[in-house]
Amino acid sequence: MQHALNLYFRLIGVQIRSQMQYRASFALELVGTGMIALFEYASLALVFERFDNLGGWTLGQVAFLYGMSEFSFGIMDMLFGGFDPSFFGLNVRRGTFDQLLLRPVNITAQVLGSEFTLRRIGKIIVGAGIFASALALSPVAWTPLKALLATLMAVSQVAFFGGLFIIGATVTFWTVESIEVVNIFTYGGSYMISHPMHIFPAGLRQFFTYFIPAIFLAYYPALYILELPDPFGMPAFAPWLAPLAGLGVLIAALAFWRFGIGYYQSTGT
Amino acid sequence: MRTFWELTKTSFQRHLTYRAATIAGLVTNFFFGILRAAIFVALYDQQAEVEGLSLQGAITFAALAQAFIGYLSLFSWYELMNSVYTGDISSDLLKPMNYFAFWLAQDLGRALVNILLRGLILMAGYALIFDLIWPRSSAQILAVLIGIALSWLISFAWRFLINLSALWTPNARGILRFTFVFSWFFSGFLMPLRLYPDWVRAISRFTPFPYMLNSVVEIYLGILTGPEILLSLLTQLFWALALVAAGQLVLRAGVRRLVILGG
Repeated sequence: MQHALNLYFRLIGVQIRSQMQYRASFALELVGTGMIALFEYASLALVFERFDNLGGWTLGQVAFLYGMSEFSFGIMDMLFGGFDPSFFGLNVRRGTFDQLLLRPVNITAQVLGSEFTLRRIGKIIVGAGIFASALALSPVAWTPLKALLATLMAVSQVAFFGGLFIIGATVTFWTVESIEVVNIFTYGGSYMISHPMHIFPAGLRQFFTYFIPAIFLAYYPALYILELPDPFGMPAFAPWLAPLAGLGVLIAALAFWRFGIGYYQSTGT
Repeated sequence: MRTFWELTKTSFQRHLTYRAATIAGLVTNFFFGILRAAIFVALYDQQAEVEGLSLQGAITFAALAQAFIGYLSLFSWYELMNSVYTGDISSDLLKPMNYFAFWLAQDLGRALVNILLRGLILMAGYALIFDLIWPRSSAQILAVLIGIALSWLISFAWRFLINLSALWTPNARGILRFTFVFSWFFSGFLMPLRLYPDWVRAISRFTPFPYMLNSVVEIYLGILTGPEILLSLLTQLFWALALVAAGQLVLRAGVRRLVILGG
């Protein structure tokens, strides 16, 4: 375990140093990544001048969800980049994954350390900025419990989407091609939890409640912290299901990953 | 000219074979269109019309925006950039054909496959679940078709232009990613331009992006009428020609400094 951790930090250190070699191009990429997140948010925030609410939620309340989700997804994308299905699928196709398997080191640590994209910090900063603007627009009456729940929200979202990345990566053992439909759950899920979930069609919402428990990662904790009524009458502990949903998906994903490696039979390239 | 159509044809056939990618694109675009439509429903609430755009119009806008993604390669297009980095550009430049036309023909094949297999199927799918707006008169349909063709030309000439930045920098991907976001925002892909504050629309008028999507959809929805349609199409033509010309100039400057290493 100690060995795996050392190796992981060493792998990441190498990548950070190499990405920092070209300062100008790194700065450009950082700003570019931040701008993508910023423009997407701006497209929603700017129309609040004409509409003033989204399904009854003010801009500040929406920004709470949106900022949190951008922030967490950015962190997840940086930590779990090695499992990004499109990146990982390439390794399976090219056979470079076989090289990792031959090394006498923990395979999960190697994949985690195989891609660490520092420019994601751009998205993380913008996410934090949007979240800060949310607190300025509609101040939260903070209590210790609310602060704890907000922290759990961020951690659970990172674990949840990291888990989805791992599942998407593992599926490529069978499909070889990376299946882009996974994007519906990762990017689509992230898009949905950035908005108040009650605005989406009932079927979709139920899918992202009972099949993929994304609703507990953002919407329910936000209802508790922003002191808004629950339109669906879930039990009062629903906001506290966030860590269960997040860590549950991550643990299930890791088990599936173990199973997938056992099955894996290289492409022969 | 014959070479041009041959290239278009082979590109068309090549893109036809990417069946898995087409289906994946369809499913993802369809899903996001439904989410976008739901956001419009929630935003409009009880308002029938905002800035001349009805809720039904906004939902149709969301559907059309998704249908255009594949056709205009809205998310990314790095092919020319990659050919600079792999060195393939050297043999492409030697071909007895205008370099711009060489890429234009291939992109036409790509665009046709995408509008037929992704655009039309998406619109048919949305028609099943939403009450969409359709063009009314044959004159309007004609204007929409011209607008759609010109929007592709603008989009391609612009993608060609920004890909040429690879001739100057070894890391054009960052620049391209950045400029693509600009196009999402100012083309109306993320949100119909009329819903933004006036100052945003004022800025967008200085860019070609509204004429890649927003103006065509407004003709489609019947928001623009009579002389407005003509003006819109002429402005599209102007941007198309301006971008093609800019591409030629930049290409000439770039090729002059291009050094190809033998190997």
